Amino acid sequence: MKIEQVSGAGAGLTAGGYRPEEVIVEAGSEQGPIFENLRRSLADLAFTFVERADEFFLRLRGAEDPLGMGKRYLLLTRHQGDFIKKCPGSEGSVCCNYFVINFASNCPMECSYCYLQDYLAHNTALKIFSNVEDLLGEARSLFARQRGFFFRVGTGEITDSLALDPFIGFSEQIVPFFAEQPNALLELKTKSRCVDRLVALDPKDRVVASWSMNPQAVIDADEHGTASFEERIEAARRCQEAGYRLGFHFDPMVEYANWEEDYRGMVEKLFSVLDPRRMAWISLGVLRTTPNLKRIMRGRFPASRLISGEQVLAPDGKLRYFHPLRVSMYRKMLRWIRQGSPTVFVYLCMESKEVWEQVFGFSPSCEMEIGRRMTAGM
Amino acid sequence: MDGEIETYGKSKGIRPRTLQRWLRLSEPDRKALLDLACQLGIGENHLRDILEWTEEMNLRDGVSLWQVIRGATVEPIWTDPGLGRSEKIRRVKEELRRLRFPRLVRAEREIQKRVRSMGLKSEIQISVPPALEGGFLTVHLKSTSYEDLQRLVAELGPLVDRSEIREVFSLLNGEAI
Repeated sequence: MKIEQVSGAGAGLTAGGYRPEEVIVEAGSEQGPIFENLRRSLADLAFTFVERADEFFLRLRGAEDPLGMGKRYLLLTRHQGDFIKKCPGSEGSVCCNYFVINFASNCPMECSYCYLQDYLAHNTALKIFSNVEDLLGEARSLFARQRGFFFRVGTGEITDSLALDPFIGFSEQIVPFFAEQPNALLELKTKSRCVDRLVALDPKDRVVASWSMNPQAVIDADEHGTASFEERIEAARRCQEAGYRLGFHFDPMVEYANWEEDYRGMVEKLFSVLDPRRMAWISLGVLRTTPNLKRIMRGRFPASRLISGEQVLAPDGKLRYFHPLRVSMYRKMLRWIRQGSPTVFVYLCMESKEVWEQVFGFSPSCEMEIGRRMTAGM
Repeated sequence: MDGEIETYGKSKGIRPRTLQRWLRLSEPDRKALLDLACQLGIGENHLRDILEWTEEMNLRDGVSLWQVIRGATVEPIWTDPGLGRSEKIRRVKEELRRLRFPRLVRAEREIQKRVRSMGLKSEIQISVPPALEGGFLTVHLKSTSYEDLQRLVAELGPLVDRSEIREVFSLLNGEAI
């Protein structure tokens, strides 16, 4: 499979401690901004050039932990098919009408509860797609075709939006593009502190930098290789200063002995450091797994206590804390958030109409409604 | 003992993955589960539930499988000579579920207690979804004539005003958690 292997010298950057062992470049991806950034930022790393990555995929499949092994390499490849998709949401849940752009697949971090462990179980390579021009072309054409519709688009569905940015510099391609779109808003969702490139760009109010937030106790136990709570807050502060709107996702919320104290403290800290007027939205969602994901978690993270909560199977096939418990959790979080800001937009992720009604006293009349509320005034 | 477990697994058609999980347990856990399994003749589904619930209780509460199965509320059920096999299985599962999901089961029981205390006629049933998922209450009226239905609907009005109904809703929407 090997065509050429080169390596150089120089200090590589790290993304929250992550650093690949090798970069594998598939034919057709040896040029362009992503490749150039990788070569610059990982100059001392071996780059392996291959016609096709089939042999690499076979190696991953044969590994004892294909998911863990997949994260040790970066595969630069061209994406075939559509880059932009409608977020699938969850059956029976209120949808927020979100679109996703997949510029990469898989994530360098290791959250014990991550659904990608199941979703990408047979496709575990950490891939970066090199054909960014195709991605931007597709987005440009979609937004131009539907000028009457306002798109909310995220890049953090099957990867972290920013964790690899120090290496690949994708933000330098996507942010200036969205900054010029009249009918689209980009959300970059992350658990990292990798905003150095981001803060040098002008988002022109068309980009929301957002963080998944959890108390440090949860980060320590179950969000391996991610930034600490304080680092996330500091990264958010820098982005706010650079003109970005901010988003926060208290998702997955985890229930444990001191959860109320920890989550309340986290919310208070958030509002003491950041300006709520620059917060685009806050979402809430409790821990969700599936029976299969639970099985994978037991194997990969046997010490994690996440699966020991009072989670029951919901009609959509997902395990969640039983209904009254999670409604109670949402209500408490909403109360603490409202103490920090009476007006910031708060929504629930992957929850039923009944839960919405019991938490907020209403449920959106249609899937367009949440999207409209979230982007009102933009 | 492992040979006995394997023989039991074969006789009950236990899947290899479930059997491996059993064999990976500590010796006291393997033995306690074998005693319980032989006493009740449990198959794949019950065995998997027991393994899963006790494993999760171990993570949460630090109690071993053998401590649960031989515990004060479980062992008397499966060793009771006065109970039939299926009744033992039903009660053991119920008790293990209570230990695994204590607040859920408490809420379910509190709701049942309030519904029972209302002393409803058999033509009016009030029920909640399994595991309370959805958080709603269903009222079921059984009627054989128009007049009968009119009578039941009229009786519903005062029923709705009873404090038990408000308390059921408090339990369903998490206010009482």
